[in-house]
Amino acid sequence: MTVHTPIETRSGGLPPWAIGLTVLLFLIGGVYLAANLTGDNPAFAIPGASAPAPSGGGEADPAVGEALVAQNQCAACHGADLGGTDNFPSLLAIADGPVSENLQDLAAEYPDAWVALWINGTVPETEGLDRGGMPAFGADLSPEQIDAIVAYLRSL
Amino acid sequence: MTRQVTVNPKKLRPYDEPPKRRRSLIPSGPDTAATGFLVAAALWLGVSTGLGVLAIALRIIPFDFSFPLLFGLEFTFSERRVDAAFINATVYGWLTNVGFAAVAFMTPRLVGKRIVAEPLLNLALVIWNMSLAAGLASLYVFALGPHAPLTAMSWLLTGGLATGALIVTGVFVMTAGTALRSSYISLWFAGVALLGLLGLLGLNAGLGLLSFVLDLPELTTALVSVFIGQALMALWLLGMAYATLYYVVPRAVGQPLASGGLALLAWLSWLALAPVSALAVLTDASVPFVITSLGAVAAMLLFVPAALTVVNLALTMQGRWSLLFGAGATAFAAVSLAFLLGVSLLQAIGSLRLVHVAVARTEWETGVFIWATYGAFTLAAFALAEHALPRILRRAWGGGLLSSAQLWLAFSGATIAGLALMGAGMAESSLLSQGVAADALGAGVAPYRVVAFLGFGMVALAGLAMVVNLFLLYTSGEPAEYAVPDASAAVAAGH
Repeated sequence: MTVHTPIETRSGGLPPWAIGLTVLLFLIGGVYLAANLTGDNPAFAIPGASAPAPSGGGEADPAVGEALVAQNQCAACHGADLGGTDNFPSLLAIADGPVSENLQDLAAEYPDAWVALWINGTVPETEGLDRGGMPAFGADLSPEQIDAIVAYLRSL
Repeated sequence: MTRQVTVNPKKLRPYDEPPKRRRSLIPSGPDTAATGFLVAAALWLGVSTGLGVLAIALRIIPFDFSFPLLFGLEFTFSERRVDAAFINATVYGWLTNVGFAAVAFMTPRLVGKRIVAEPLLNLALVIWNMSLAAGLASLYVFALGPHAPLTAMSWLLTGGLATGALIVTGVFVMTAGTALRSSYISLWFAGVALLGLLGLLGLNAGLGLLSFVLDLPELTTALVSVFIGQALMALWLLGMAYATLYYVVPRAVGQPLASGGLALLAWLSWLALAPVSALAVLTDASVPFVITSLGAVAAMLLFVPAALTVVNLALTMQGRWSLLFGAGATAFAAVSLAFLLGVSLLQAIGSLRLVHVAVARTEWETGVFIWATYGAFTLAAFALAEHALPRILRRAWGGGLLSSAQLWLAFSGATIAGLALMGAGMAESSLLSQGVAADALGAGVAPYRVVAFLGFGMVALAGLAMVVNLFLLYTSGEPAEYAVPDASAAVAAGH
């Protein structure tokens, strides 16, 4: 037979400090929510998904580049439309040359390849450049994939 | 005076022998289900901690291999698959079995009647654990696809898990249903947690079935999958941790719960926030920003029920602080509460947009997972086992050395491993922002991972100590009687 052994409670009421603390924390949460009503989520990195391979044939494929841009969450920093944010430059007019000061020399020396070199970031040409939070994608992407990204960015 | 009768056993005829005890295939005695779930949990603890050690080792020295099986299948051993097995063994193996044991142990004692259809619970024990064992094996054979670890098992086996959860929930409702309104707060937490588990497992099995029949987009599957994983943590595991702690602490200290009102407020706030908090992980461009923001705010505010619970249970312990210096249920519960508060704070900080962008998908998340599962939830489970097993088996724990080892190894191991992995996550984030190459990144976080490996090794030893302690209780524990005749005496005796 099971013995009924209830647990007693010393007090059934709610202390005023608990109500105050709960209301205060919910208010802080509400203020934070109000400040974060609009914005952009980055693209979701699907577990186990491999980076799309370039289509081959020597020509960089902008469609592959578009998928890679989404997968690598470029929009997280450069904005949902890649048009730039307060801290990160726009990627919409890279054909006109770099916006950032620190890339002027690189673009002058490598007018055709500076974007690919900058995205790569693991090559000697970009050594010593302040990356300002930009990851070196050469660690994860192949040169062909980086070329596809450049082709996509140039098509914007 | 009684006359001694000597019997020659060789001359006994069949009808002179005492009737043989027939054992039914599914046992139905009181507390058999609670015992079964606790023993299964202890075994899964050994498996899950072993897999955890292996998972961290594979981060330090990457290694994979595969070999063909029958019917064109292939066994593949890789870091992602070991990770998935570790997380599944921890959540579904160790912690869920303890959760079911808590339901089977607490419910009859709180509502004052035997569990309705106890053999059904034993059936659930078998279905759950067999499905899980097969599911873990399937993780090494079938493609994991875009699934998060907790939804990576085959949908058929997830259906087995859902069936087990359905039986436990049904038995709980039949036993506690009529008395639920006036019953203790632990049953309210347990009831919602069970319904949450059942719903999420049903959703998971349904998603798997749909993926099997239709060609669902990978992104949809991945998003539903991470939502289920996060909701399982916030609804099921956190809910059962609260249920257990609210039950064990007043029992262990032999005092009434300090405030029913605080407990009710904690329950209401957890109920409102836990399901919404899982929205925070749906960070995709296709999901409206306000939805993820709402989820992030709910995840931050989960600090409220944690803080209310810590205060309430600390007030309940008032005057019995000396119990904290032993290695009994009170000490386990106190450490669990400390971890619970710490994890709530870390979740709140990690949900801030700026922090989330930096630490998402780094080792930070694994560190917080270790603190939650092997800190807060495991120590609450140890508290339950410490309190319940002597009462179920009517045997007293031994000298306490193994209990002390469990407490200190789990506490220090989870602290060290969690902190090291969170440090690795921050280092990873910092190195990524500097644009270092993959090799340099690996070398940069390796020292943190080595420390995490050593820390988690201590957690594995704590698991081993629990298994040995349980074995010794079974085989050589001194008989002890905890049954008490009435309610007031029961509270005083800490039944």
